[in-house]
Amino acid sequence: MPATPLSRICYVEDDEDIQRIVRMSLERVGKMTVHVVSDPMQAIEAIKVFKPDLVMLDWMMPGMDGPTLFRKMRETPEVQHLPVVFITAKASSAEMDELRAMGAAGAISKPFSPKDLPDQLRSIWGALP
Amino acid sequence: MDHAKDAAFLDLSSAAEAPVSAPPVRELADQRKVFADQIDLLFRHSPMGTLITIVVGGIATYELWGEGNNELVSIWCVLMLAVGAARHLLYRAYYRRRNDDYGPWLRWFAIGALASGAVWGFAGTVFFPAHTDAQQVFLSFLLAGMVAGGIPIYSAVWWVYAVYGLAIIVPFAYILATYGSAQFIELAVLVPLFLAVNISIAMRLSRVFADGFRLRHAYAHLGQDHSMLNAQLQEQIEELLQAQREVEASGRKLALFAERAPIAVFEVDPKGTILEMNPSAENTFGYSSTELIGRSMIRMLIPSDEPVLNGDWWKNFVADAHPEAGLRVRCRRRDAVELICEFSLTPLVNDVGELLSVITQCQDITQQLEAERLKKEFTSTLSHELRTPLTSIIGSLQLINTGMLGDLDKEMSELTTIAERNGQRLLDLINDLLDIDKIESGKLTTYPEAISLDELVRESLVLNRAFADRFGVRMALRGDPPALVVYADKKRLIQVMTNLMSNASKFSPEGGLVEVGLERVDNMARVSVEDRGSGIPPEFRSRIFGRFAQADSAATRQKGGTGLGLAICKRLIELMGGRIGFADREGGGTTFFFELPLMNQSAASSE
Repeated sequence: MPATPLSRICYVEDDEDIQRIVRMSLERVGKMTVHVVSDPMQAIEAIKVFKPDLVMLDWMMPGMDGPTLFRKMRETPEVQHLPVVFITAKASSAEMDELRAMGAAGAISKPFSPKDLPDQLRSIWGALP
Repeated sequence: MDHAKDAAFLDLSSAAEAPVSAPPVRELADQRKVFADQIDLLFRHSPMGTLITIVVGGIATYELWGEGNNELVSIWCVLMLAVGAARHLLYRAYYRRRNDDYGPWLRWFAIGALASGAVWGFAGTVFFPAHTDAQQVFLSFLLAGMVAGGIPIYSAVWWVYAVYGLAIIVPFAYILATYGSAQFIELAVLVPLFLAVNISIAMRLSRVFADGFRLRHAYAHLGQDHSMLNAQLQEQIEELLQAQREVEASGRKLALFAERAPIAVFEVDPKGTILEMNPSAENTFGYSSTELIGRSMIRMLIPSDEPVLNGDWWKNFVADAHPEAGLRVRCRRRDAVELICEFSLTPLVNDVGELLSVITQCQDITQQLEAERLKKEFTSTLSHELRTPLTSIIGSLQLINTGMLGDLDKEMSELTTIAERNGQRLLDLINDLLDIDKIESGKLTTYPEAISLDELVRESLVLNRAFADRFGVRMALRGDPPALVVYADKKRLIQVMTNLMSNASKFSPEGGLVEVGLERVDNMARVSVEDRGSGIPPEFRSRIFGRFAQADSAATRQKGGTGLGLAICKRLIELMGGRIGFADREGGGTTFFFELPLMNQSAASSE
C-alpha cells in the first residue's frame, strides 16, 4: 500500500459530459485533485507536467485508444511507473487480463457510479504494492 | 432385407446341389410303390384271365362231353367255374379294400393262380388217358395254350406265373411219362422244358415291368423335386425383382433429394473431376452442368491460394478417405465474385477400401456470414452507444442525488430519484439483453476462480441491502454458513445472487423477511434465497426460466425487471457446472436455490 493517500488523478477522456461527471465525482465526493486531458495524443506530455498519483484512461477514444496510450506510457520513462486504471464500457475480461498482465492496476466499468467512484479508485490504490 | 436375400441365395445353392449328390435315378423310386404297381398289374389282368379260363373251359367241356364220363366233366366244369368265381370275388375285394399292405393280396392272388393252374392240371390228368387220340391232341394244345397264355397275365410277378404253370404241367407231365408210349415219354421231358422257357420269359418280363415301374416312380420323384426347385426359383426371382424395384425407387428418391436440395451437390472422382452436379450447384456457382461436368472442381471453383481443398489437402483427403464437414472455403463464382461456402465431403468407398467418388455438398454462406457480422456490429454498437449516454445520465442524477452539490427541495429530489432509478432500469435491460445475446451465440465466457462461497454470500447481502430497503424488506443470513469453496466466476455469481435477491425483495410483502442460506448437499454447495411472498402461480412454473418470463406484466411496470434475469441465471449457473431450481417454501413463499460443485471435492476426485 502506498504511503500517501490518493489525491492527484489525471483522467484522459474525450467525452466532455463524462469528463465533467468524473471531475465532479472525484472533486466533490472524493476530495481529490483532478486534471482532465481530452486529447490522448497530448496525454503523456500533460501527465509529465501534472505528476498525478494515478492515471485513468478511457478505453475508446478517437486518435488513440486507451490500451495504445497505456503501452506508450509504459515505453516512456517519466510516466511508466504510474498506476493506470481503465474506465470502459467495452473491455472483455480476456482483454482486461491481458492489460493486467502488462501492469494495469484495474478497471472500472461504464456506466460507473459517481457516488462510488472515489471509493473504487481508493480500493485499487490501496491494493497497490 | 439383406438378410432375406442372403437366405434366398443359400436356399438356391442347397437346392441346386441336391441332384448332384443324389444316387442313380432308378434308385430314387420308392420300392414299396414299385411292388404295389406289380400287384396292381396282376389284378388288372385278372378279369381277362378269368374270362379266358371260362371261355376255354366252356369249349373244353363241349369237346369232352358225351364220351362216357360226363359226370367227371361236370365236376371239372363246376370246379373251374368255382375257381373263376372265387378269383373274381378276390378281384372285387382287392379294388374295394386294397391298402398299403400289398403282401396278403399277392398271397391270395398266388393261391388263385395255383387253383386255376390246378384245375387245368386236373383236366390234363383226368381226361387225357380216357379219351381218343384226337381229343388227346386237343387237350395237349389246350394245356400248352393255357401255359403260354398265362405269361401276359401272371408275369408281373414271375413266381406267380411259375406256380400257375407248374400246377398245370407237373400232373400232365406225370401222366405223359407213365402212359407207356415212348413218344409220350419224350413229350413228358419236352413239356417241362417248354414250361422252363416260359418261366424264364416271365422272369424277364417281370424284370422289365419292375424296371418300368421303378423308372416311373423315380421320374415322378424327380419331377416333384423339379417343380419344387422351380417354385423356389420363381420365389427368389420375385424377391430379386422386388429388391431391384426397391433399389431403383431409393435411387430415384436419392436423385430427387440431390436434385431438389437447396444445397449444391457435386459427385467428383478421386482426382477431383466433376462427374455429376445438381441444379443448386448450377445456381450457386453460375455455371451450367455441361460447363463443369468432366472438369476439375477445384481448378474451376476454388482460388489457387485457398489452403483448403487445393493440392496437398486434396491428396491427403483422398488418401485418408475420411468424411469432412463444416469446411469454410473461399470459392469463385463464374462472374468472378468470391463466395464463402461451407463444404462437406463424403468419400464413397467400396468393399475393398477403394475410393470410388466423393460426394461434395456445399452451401453458400456468404450472406449468412455478412448477417452475423452485421449483428455483431449492431450488438457492439448498441452496447457502446447506449451505455455512453446512460453513463452521463445516471452519473449526473446520482451526483445530484448524493446532495454533494447542494440540497434539493423534496419534490425535485423525488423526481431526480425516479429519473435515476429508471435510467438504472434501462441500463439493466441493456445489460441483460447483451448477456442473453452473448449466451445464445455461445460467446459468453466465464472466468472461474476459487471462491469462498460463504464470503460471497455475505458480500451479496451487503450489496443488495439497499435494494431490499426500498421494498421495506429485511434480508438476513440463515444460521452460520459453513466455509465452502467453489470454482466459479465471481462477477457472474454476484450477478446471479443479485438477481435472486432482488426478485425475492420485489415479491415479498412489505416488512417481509428474505433469508439467504448456504449449506452442503453431498458434493455440492447449495445457496438458497427464501422469500415469504405469495408463491409462484402454477401456470407460470414451467416457463419461469424462459426469456421475458414474468407472471404478471402489471407487476413488471410496478416493480421493474426485464423478465430476462432468471433465464440468464440459469444459463450462467449451468455454464459454471451447476444447476438452479425453486421449490415452494413451507408456510408460504418460494425458495430459489442453485448448486455448484465443491472445489476440493472435484480436486480430490480428479486425483
